[in-house]
Amino acid sequence: MNLTLFALGRLLSAIPVLIGVTIVVFLSVQLVPGDIALSILGRMASQEQLQALRETMGLDQPIVVQYLRWFGALMQGDIGVSLAQQLPVAQILVPKIWNSLILMAGSLALVLVFGFLLAVLSAPRFRSLTDRAVVALTLVLASLPVFWLGIVALYLLAFKWKLFPISGMYNIVSPGGFWDLIHHMVLPASVTAASSIAVVARVTRSRMIDVLNEPYILAARARGLRRRQVVLRHGVRNTLPTFASIGGLQIGYLFGGVVFTEIIFNWPGVGLQLYDAILARDIPMIQGCVLVVATVFVLGNMISDITVHALDPRKG
Amino acid sequence: MTRVSSLRMLLKGTVTGLALSLAAPALAETTIVMAVEADFSRMNPAASRTWNTFKVVRHIFESFVEEDLTKGGDAVPEIVPALAESWEISEDGKSYTFHLRKGVTFHDGTPWNAEAAKFNLDRMTNPEFEYFVPASPGLMGWVWMDLVGYEVVDEYTFRIDLKQPNAEFLRRLTAGGSGAPRMVSPEAVKTYGNDGIEDHPIGTGPFKFVERVVGEKLVIARNDAYWNPERIPKADAIVLRGIPEVVTRELALMSGEVDMIGTPSPDSIETLQAQGMQIVTGPSPMVYVLWLNTKDEHFDDARVRKAACMAINREDMAKYQRKGFAIPAWGILNPGGPGYDPAFRDCDYDPEGARALLAEAGYPDGFETRMDWTFGGGSDVNTKGDAEWLQRDLEKVGIRASIEMFDNNTFWDMMSAGMREGTGLTSASWGESTFAWLDQVVTTTALPPSCCNSGYYDNPEIDRLLSEARASATQEALDGKLHEMRDIIAADMPFTTYYAANSVYALAPNVSGFVLAPQHWVDLTGLTKE
Repeated sequence: MNLTLFALGRLLSAIPVLIGVTIVVFLSVQLVPGDIALSILGRMASQEQLQALRETMGLDQPIVVQYLRWFGALMQGDIGVSLAQQLPVAQILVPKIWNSLILMAGSLALVLVFGFLLAVLSAPRFRSLTDRAVVALTLVLASLPVFWLGIVALYLLAFKWKLFPISGMYNIVSPGGFWDLIHHMVLPASVTAASSIAVVARVTRSRMIDVLNEPYILAARARGLRRRQVVLRHGVRNTLPTFASIGGLQIGYLFGGVVFTEIIFNWPGVGLQLYDAILARDIPMIQGCVLVVATVFVLGNMISDITVHALDPRKG
Repeated sequence: MTRVSSLRMLLKGTVTGLALSLAAPALAETTIVMAVEADFSRMNPAASRTWNTFKVVRHIFESFVEEDLTKGGDAVPEIVPALAESWEISEDGKSYTFHLRKGVTFHDGTPWNAEAAKFNLDRMTNPEFEYFVPASPGLMGWVWMDLVGYEVVDEYTFRIDLKQPNAEFLRRLTAGGSGAPRMVSPEAVKTYGNDGIEDHPIGTGPFKFVERVVGEKLVIARNDAYWNPERIPKADAIVLRGIPEVVTRELALMSGEVDMIGTPSPDSIETLQAQGMQIVTGPSPMVYVLWLNTKDEHFDDARVRKAACMAINREDMAKYQRKGFAIPAWGILNPGGPGYDPAFRDCDYDPEGARALLAEAGYPDGFETRMDWTFGGGSDVNTKGDAEWLQRDLEKVGIRASIEMFDNNTFWDMMSAGMREGTGLTSASWGESTFAWLDQVVTTTALPPSCCNSGYYDNPEIDRLLSEARASATQEALDGKLHEMRDIIAADMPFTTYYAANSVYALAPNVSGFVLAPQHWVDLTGLTKE
């Protein structure tokens, strides 16, 4: 199928998924116990004041009506006003999305590079010492809880050996440029990437082992092609769709993962914002943050699908 | 919001975000970075919340009078003139005439005068006013509950009338955390709109607002034109950050990324000191209150409640559980608040006696119950450890309690709903330098579904005493009424307290001039660094 048509199809099919996402986000926040009017007006507000606010905000309406109103506003680009800050959610959230995307992009780069390198290093040397070492390493990486890894990395690399800064995205007093950003990003990006590197490396490795055992690889070898040539030309190429697919799946996963690393490293992104919003029970902000994370997940998977399609060697 | 303006907002957010990410300017020389436990709430004083937010708000905006927090120690801070140079209280105690300070301007140049005062009172209390803040009455009932009127007498004289005398009125004018009665530039409100104040907080205080990136930083800078030369800030600017994760906060201090932090973990104090950090600690009004469920099948008996009180080893709890950064507490009146008497005991630590009381109440073998608890917020530290400590103490006398932990928001909703069936005890930190908080804890007006008389202690006598305390003409009379109330509560035992936490800050070795008064908030004007 033509790539443009395929991409268009995937884009269209993402629409109902995204609508589903809005329903889930809206409903899940409704499940949070507590009275939003009470949150706004405070504990000393009278019952009349609370009731009046509920009516103004439409909180007394049936849930379907509330959803449709919220969705309608959302379609017009209005995701509400933060209860904690009385500023438009978009105004606060948009810079955070950028910050999280920057961190996610850094993590994804690490995932793709190291995941791929580890696979290429191990698969052609199946059951060798290198292979076993890679398998062991990925097992460890995949098993480390992000929170623990983050704090250990902070303690050793940032505090003890002073290689990296502890927190934030830039030096808060005299912000530097690009290199300051990279310097701040190394630790959180690596911590976020750790388990994804393991996943990508393992899946890619096992796919490549399968590929290298295919008859056409044997045939290529029999025709006298060098091992390195066979691995790079045929092995890698035929592993790419799997690699792209599993790598792409990490986009959403990493974006979800940065929620934790952002809290540890105080990275001013969607995750830290979500955490603050939950602490302040800032419902519109929570909805905004969850919506962003969910949308990135859906779009990430879509991009992954399209990339897989484009990389599939069977399409010539 | 219209579609066009939302899109514009989105675009603006994007551009601002990019601009901030790429080209934030370097800050002035003596810039002190202070990290606290959570990001800040709203900058509009009438709608601002949390004690951490008030640490900033009180430096940008001012009230008629202030608490002098430039002196440390454990004495209740003195009330000093601020935007009012002097004041008179009428003989019946119901009228406050403020003589306003002349020549003061807001940071935007708007003059401070009686019209500005009226504008702000309207904004906080008059629902008909164009710039009324809807959140204000619910948040600020504790200040304006007795208000009946206010009037511009002349350009620099402003009068506030109350329906009854209120011995604490002046002190309440200085406080914050749930709204703050502070003066905002009327011109700024007119120019930027009521909500625009969040981005343009313009007051008369010693610090001016510079910028805020929500969730990242809040920058305030010295107001060189401040009216009080003694409180012109020593530092050029202060950058405030919310770093919720305590380990990150501590590491950021030790690595020099921030200059001072609030509430390090008691377990880290030695490490911080070993790294050369200064630990500044002092009493605060924060007390840990225990609610006992007077409707519970076991705790409906006052003897059982008394037994619970006697079971708690408060001395050891302050010493070991809080590593000495707390003092044991008894009774409902908190240190740093009116009427506090360190010698008062509502019960003595007496496990034997507690067991005997339980047996007398018909529980020779004890009973099972539940404690609903919160992880807390702000400057709460290891509240689960507190719960486990109390669980152990209670078990020794036969009260076998399970613990259920809740996040802070859910917990306070539960407090409004009243303790659920099967829950015998619950606890949270509170306590203020005024007794306004007691109106929300011990009175019948705070019974569920209002917050937070959650143990259903229904005693109109308490309401009467608090009301009389408020109407007292002298501090002695006020203290007397509070003592009466405290003694009734001690006898009925629907509440007790177990420790009062110290405020703890950790500072880099080169930071000086930090003073800690016994209050939830601090004065940052003396702060500087080499």
